[in-house]
Amino acid sequence: MNAVNAYLKLVRKNLDKPTIAYKFIKYGLNVAEKYVSFFPDRRLPESLRSLTKLCFKYIRAPIDNPQNAVWVNIFAPTEFLHAMDIYPLFIEAYSSYMSGFCVEDCLIDKAESAGISNTLCSYHKAFIGSGELGILPKPKMAVTTSMVCDANINTFRYLAAKFDIPIYIIDIPYEYNRNTVEYVKGQLLEMIGLIEGVFNKKLDLDRLREIISLENRTRKLIKEYINNLKYKSFNTTMATEMYMLFTSHVFMGLEETFDFYERLVDDIKKAPDRSGKGIFFVHLLPMFEKSFKKYLNFSSEFQILGSDLNYDFLNEMYCPDPFEAIAEKMILNIYNGGFERRVKAVSNLVDEIKPDGIIQFCHWGCKQSIGGVGIYRNYFRERGIPFLAVDGDAIDKRNNQEGQIRTRLEAFLEMLKRR
Amino acid sequence: MIGYVCKYTPVEIIKAFDEEVSRIDPEIKTYEKAEGLTHPNMCSFMKGTLEDILQKNIDEVVLVNCCDSIRRLAEILKNKVKFLHVIDLPRKINESACNLFYAELLEFIRAYEEYKGKKFDQDRFKNILKEHKAKIYDSNECIAVLGARFRDDVIKNIGKRCNINVINLTCTGEHRLSNIMQRNDLIFNYASAIMNSYPCMRMTADRLAFLKNYNLKGIIYNTVKFCDFYSYEYASLKNFLNVPILKIETDYLDFDSGQILNRVDAFLESVGVRKIEVQVKNRGYFMGIDSGSTSTNAVILDQDKNIVSYSILPTGAKALDSAWEAYRIALEKANLRREDISCVVSTGYGRISIPFSDKSVTEITCHGKGAFYLDSGVRTIIDIGGQDSKVIRLDDCGNVVDFVMNDKCSAGTGRFLDVMARVLQVPIEDMAEVVRDFKEDITITSMCTVFAESEVISLIAQNKDKRDIIRGLNRSVASKVASLLGRVGKRAKYMMTGGVAKNNGVVYEIENKIQEKIIIPFEPQIVGALGAALIAAGEND
Repeated sequence: MNAVNAYLKLVRKNLDKPTIAYKFIKYGLNVAEKYVSFFPDRRLPESLRSLTKLCFKYIRAPIDNPQNAVWVNIFAPTEFLHAMDIYPLFIEAYSSYMSGFCVEDCLIDKAESAGISNTLCSYHKAFIGSGELGILPKPKMAVTTSMVCDANINTFRYLAAKFDIPIYIIDIPYEYNRNTVEYVKGQLLEMIGLIEGVFNKKLDLDRLREIISLENRTRKLIKEYINNLKYKSFNTTMATEMYMLFTSHVFMGLEETFDFYERLVDDIKKAPDRSGKGIFFVHLLPMFEKSFKKYLNFSSEFQILGSDLNYDFLNEMYCPDPFEAIAEKMILNIYNGGFERRVKAVSNLVDEIKPDGIIQFCHWGCKQSIGGVGIYRNYFRERGIPFLAVDGDAIDKRNNQEGQIRTRLEAFLEMLKRR
Repeated sequence: MIGYVCKYTPVEIIKAFDEEVSRIDPEIKTYEKAEGLTHPNMCSFMKGTLEDILQKNIDEVVLVNCCDSIRRLAEILKNKVKFLHVIDLPRKINESACNLFYAELLEFIRAYEEYKGKKFDQDRFKNILKEHKAKIYDSNECIAVLGARFRDDVIKNIGKRCNINVINLTCTGEHRLSNIMQRNDLIFNYASAIMNSYPCMRMTADRLAFLKNYNLKGIIYNTVKFCDFYSYEYASLKNFLNVPILKIETDYLDFDSGQILNRVDAFLESVGVRKIEVQVKNRGYFMGIDSGSTSTNAVILDQDKNIVSYSILPTGAKALDSAWEAYRIALEKANLRREDISCVVSTGYGRISIPFSDKSVTEITCHGKGAFYLDSGVRTIIDIGGQDSKVIRLDDCGNVVDFVMNDKCSAGTGRFLDVMARVLQVPIEDMAEVVRDFKEDITITSMCTVFAESEVISLIAQNKDKRDIIRGLNRSVASKVASLLGRVGKRAKYMMTGGVAKNNGVVYEIENKIQEKIIIPFEPQIVGALGAALIAAGEND
């Protein structure tokens, strides 16, 4: 571990030297990918070991090949990029890796000193800080959606101007109807025109249809996995649940993603029956927070059952018209539209998975999620399911008050044990 | 009465129903009910609006899904008001977006007709729109108020302090509707006029181009805590426009606080548009008096601007008593009488409460004047006082061209160090030690004084060396300063003023952090009073 600490110190020390810092980060990701390939964590089932490795591959590709990369947010329609062999850099994941590198504080301070609000979400601040420091390689362009969170448009617009790259913003209306689908379809067509121009290549519609077809098959596996979670469970970690955001969103529709879910379903079928208390999260899991890690990671007493964010769209997509299918997918995402849509979807998942308790980790600056804390609290109270809302930060460890979080979490777990 | 908050609300349609419509402008002081229904870290405007609606029993509300906070507000209000309608506003401005918005307006009309049991009056609507005239740009020099919304009384308050026109370009401002075509489908034309008004940050359109229509002397840029939209624009704007900008952060309800008005005054002074109160005299002796939160300082200058005497006193429970005492001691030390003083200029937080001053000027301008007088090579001033810290940038003539201050938080101030000295049970002088031979590199991670206090208590419990903790605390203050410096940009020479400049430990850590030497004047606490005395002696403020 000393070598890792020495390396992390070196990255930190060189953050103000963009070329060197970029090389260090690239090197670190490369070594980490090799490490998890040769020395996987044996406590995890085989599928989740392969997921860890896969995520390193997915995050590395756009960092290593910026000339063939596009910055995207988690809800961007990356099917188009996969169909054109372009690498998406998923900014929320990038920030998460930077927190893993223990440099998020420097990045966030840099963004704040540029004038960015300190109350902004730390995922966005860490990414902006990387842009301000110049340690992010310049991609060809950026694509974002207006969905779910206000910061998306603003962060992308700010950095696209700073890096002088083309940007396409997809505005997703709240309601689903014929007019809104047409509005989004029109934008997707316009976006493809821009991407084709920037990369000087054509979109192959048949390839896009294949991706959507694979997406449909993958979602069948996801549903099968959810179905098994009712009885079975792994002793897993919060990090692997967060890694799953790669496969459930930005890299959905790829063969490797499909393979991962196939293995996941096999593993869950072979897993022992759930023996501990099952914990389901709404929105994010605090994968870096000490007390959560201590009590939940690999625990057989309190088992992590996942997060609704990994299951935010489970419908079948209509392959013959991929533009329409993708427009519908975005509008109908459970995180888009009124909060009642999200509550209803969580309610269905709760009926399916039957957790013993629900946790909402109120991530610093995430208004779209924390604003609904009262709605969730009332809803779960009515259903008689224990619910814990705890404040903290999924990225900036300085915002996690260890003592306060520990007391709340311990009290909640004690409560679950007594039930 | 129908309440609304957003400028994209179809106010004229509501009026055509012959209904009273009013923009909700919360003036409440606490969020008792609101924080029970949502999270305390939601934006204060949203919480204020929620509290206001519940307190005033506003039972008809029309919202636009402008931002995450308002979207959640809408969901919280369900079943709490009789009529709630949310309009989905597209972010793009093009034909298909206008069509979507048009459909939203028709849906609103249908929903309100159904709820109210009365028909929408087309003729009345037509007459209302006929009276509408789009705002014409004014070519005179002006101060623009931009960013997050302000209350109307706040705009008036800024206007009173400024001797040129103040224009409100926030969403409560003058550019709500562009011209409306009167032919064909009037509702469609109306939808299109709303969509084409000066875009708010939520929209994808370019806002900055619009600013070129104005002859801007300066911009007061407002951001609201936990509303993050506008900080992006501020961060871009300062590199894009060659116009002085003041960024302030409020919690929407506290604009009239001394701290914020202080910044506005200093800014108006720095761009030369603050209303002048009295003419100063230029013979005799001149006094500057700085009534700060921790110390009250006075300086007397002769007519050649030589320092004749000065006094430094702790500010007691009554700021005015301390001011009188500092005044008396300075006179006594200079062997002068009250009538020898031609003009007194006051500065500092207590400046407006000093009855014997002829004029008050903010400490930002005064620190600028004082520091430049002591060393004309100074371009950056780091002032850490009892309750705030600031970084002031001077031009080559010693005028303030930019400044930033810590926001409503005592971290990184003298008070922070006082609290920590008490926790560590050491005299404040011990906090000033330069620790080069530290045993452990301790970093204080908490950004808030209260949490840092518990962090220090736990470090003491772990038997950490007090000197290492002190070093950690001094480094934490240095890191706050470095962040402020990052916002104005670094430029030598540096001078540090205020009481904390006497703390060698903090100075050492700041120098280390910025890799530059810092000039410490012979008496860093009197620099503000010195600047005030210079203004009393006739220097431009």
